[in-house]
Amino acid sequence: MVYTRQNQSALTAAQKRRFVSAVLALKRKGQYDDFVRMHVEFYVGDGSGGHPVAHMAPTFMPWHRRFLLEFERALQRIDPGVSVPYWDWTVDRSPHSSLWGEGFLGGNGRRSDRRVMTGPFAYGGGHWTIKVGVTEGEFLTREFGRPRDPIELPTKDELAWAMRDSLYDSTPWNSTSSRGFRNKVEGWTSGVGNGRFRNHNRVHRWIGGHMLGAASVNDPVFWLHHSFIDLLWSRWQRQHPQSAAFLPATKAAGTERVVAGDEPMPPWDVKPSSLIKHGNLYRYA
Amino acid sequence: MDVQTSPAGVGPAGRGVVSRRTVVRRVVGVALAAAVVPAAALVGRAFREPRDDMKDAAGGDFEETYRGRHIRGTRADAPMRTHTAHGAALWDVTVDGRPLHLMSRADGSYLTMVDHYQSFPTPLAAARGAVDELGDQILRRHAL
Repeated sequence: MVYTRQNQSALTAAQKRRFVSAVLALKRKGQYDDFVRMHVEFYVGDGSGGHPVAHMAPTFMPWHRRFLLEFERALQRIDPGVSVPYWDWTVDRSPHSSLWGEGFLGGNGRRSDRRVMTGPFAYGGGHWTIKVGVTEGEFLTREFGRPRDPIELPTKDELAWAMRDSLYDSTPWNSTSSRGFRNKVEGWTSGVGNGRFRNHNRVHRWIGGHMLGAASVNDPVFWLHHSFIDLLWSRWQRQHPQSAAFLPATKAAGTERVVAGDEPMPPWDVKPSSLIKHGNLYRYA
Repeated sequence: MDVQTSPAGVGPAGRGVVSRRTVVRRVVGVALAAAVVPAAALVGRAFREPRDDMKDAAGGDFEETYRGRHIRGTRADAPMRTHTAHGAALWDVTVDGRPLHLMSRADGSYLTMVDHYQSFPTPLAAARGAVDELGDQILRRHAL
């Protein structure tokens, strides 16, 4: 049955509670940390001679679409009524938004060590110990807006700049692609200062703490952020019906290091072309 | 969309690709400048600012104390050849003796496991950037 992913700001207290409970249950069973590990494993740079799939590559969109589906299915095995909400960071921009409330994701980290002190994912609650982290720290960390060098969340204008590009992606199909919706939303630029962080990347930077590093999945906001990124791909397809929804469609000169639309994408070996539409599985409200 | 249902209870597991452990353990830096930069220009590298120019991406070993943390970077002696035909260098970087994995980008810059979103022109600058972000935290004994 087709289910709905809702805007997090529209969730009732009961819906938030069910989502949080399912996430905590997944953590208790050890499965949540498998998702953290998988994201770490697939974050490969585009300059290291490797074959990046999850980031800095055209498959940024389909890879994370499938990653979210795996996570959502794991949640639904615990509570079939749960789906992954999305966070529209162009609208809910305040550190005091209900997103960061006691009954949902909890708030900012404290100044001294960036430890999250409120909500269900605060270390003190005993339900959220970091097991797969870059550091030995066992508590979830956040540092909203990086106070020592302040940065804002992406604006509507910045997102519109990415959405306007009618090309999905372009050569050289990596973090240096100057044209294309994919890299503009993912957010790699050659800019300086805060200008170098765009859209998706800027949100990771704005939250800070765990969201900044390899183990970003440790912060459950990761899923709400990427649910919105997923929605943006669908919205972009609607706005550019004449454009190819994914590029490169097939292997060609210059695409040797990326997965083309008709090739199997690891680790699931599904073709990106099979992940372009999702209307038979879920829709966005 | 055609999506097969995973067996219940099976978490995500990477397969069929080179794991990042293999790829990132020793980051490959393209030694674009190594052959043309005079040895004299490489002296004093460890004392330069994080905004070093791109030539430093191909630089030599470094070791320094930065904000009270001991940073060390070692480049493999024998450059490898890559499919791009550029000479390449492998890097091992540690902070207080613990491994800090670096990742190189297509533009020749570097990212670390601590900060996946800010690129630096050299391994040393990336290591300093990681220290800036670490605060009081210490890296795991064995990197992810």
